[in-house]
Amino acid sequence: MSEPQRPHAGAIPVRESLDRECRRAWERLASAGTWWSGEERLAIALESRNAHACALCRRRKDALSPYAVEGAHDALGTLSPAMVEIVHRIATDAGRLTKKWMHAMLADGISEEQYVEAVGVIAVITALDTFELSLGLPQRALPPALPGVPSRHRPAGARRDLAWVSTVAPEDLTPEDPDPYSIHGTKNIHRALSLVPQEVLNFFDLDVELYLKDHEIRDFTREYRALSHAQIELLAGRVSSLNGCYY
Amino acid sequence: MLRGDTQRRARARDAIHATLGAAALVDAAAIVASFNAVVKVADASGIPLEDFKADATADLRAELGLEKLNHLAS
Repeated sequence: MSEPQRPHAGAIPVRESLDRECRRAWERLASAGTWWSGEERLAIALESRNAHACALCRRRKDALSPYAVEGAHDALGTLSPAMVEIVHRIATDAGRLTKKWMHAMLADGISEEQYVEAVGVIAVITALDTFELSLGLPQRALPPALPGVPSRHRPAGARRDLAWVSTVAPEDLTPEDPDPYSIHGTKNIHRALSLVPQEVLNFFDLDVELYLKDHEIRDFTREYRALSHAQIELLAGRVSSLNGCYY
Repeated sequence: MLRGDTQRRARARDAIHATLGAAALVDAAAIVASFNAVVKVADASGIPLEDFKADATADLRAELGLEKLNHLAS
């Protein structure tokens, strides 16, 4: 807790490291990714926000099974229907996604790499928006898209052997791949988006400042935040429960 | 802080700020943000729970009924 504090837009002091990673996350959101351009990434982020006002998503959320409810999404019109379905379901009802649903989406013209990067974009905009909402701040406008071309680099060591999507085991990473494992750890959750290694960095560079670094989570010899480990895990468990998160 | 009407969320923020201070309010908002987001990564990728975590928490998960949230086999 010895880090210098700097004023946030809402006049609430935010740790310098957290403020820095939030600003970097906003910039990365608007930058060209590995499979989507900056403009496309922002369109995914905007559609993710829009999903919370979608009548079909509300009906599905209320239904015993979301797969029993047909209809059209209230979409902004910039993404393909398959991408709208992906973004809306992940944004509003991720806890009831299935492997069968994901494969149906991939059969509808979305590549596995595009899907994984979209998951990262949705997770980051969710984190950024939730942080500011939880502080009582108004939702900010998305930044303008930055120029750039997606690198379209698929790690040579990617295999579908752990999750629904292909992932790269730490030992299969090559020098050509961004390396998130040496920074953030090698738990399964770090592998989840590793088909697009930069997305692992994009999410966890932010997440370790929101939550804790991997080695800090079970270090009970000291506290790293203004909340104790116990208080943090109580909050984490409550939010995960509200989201029906098994992991 | 995450759900409920505007006034209820404001009361929650005020209570944390008054009781624990501004830094704790920021950290609470950050934890809520983290766990509201990481669920997307886990659930949309179908990443499984590590064996060591599953073994260590089997009794607790059964007691709390958490297996009903396991959609990975679907």
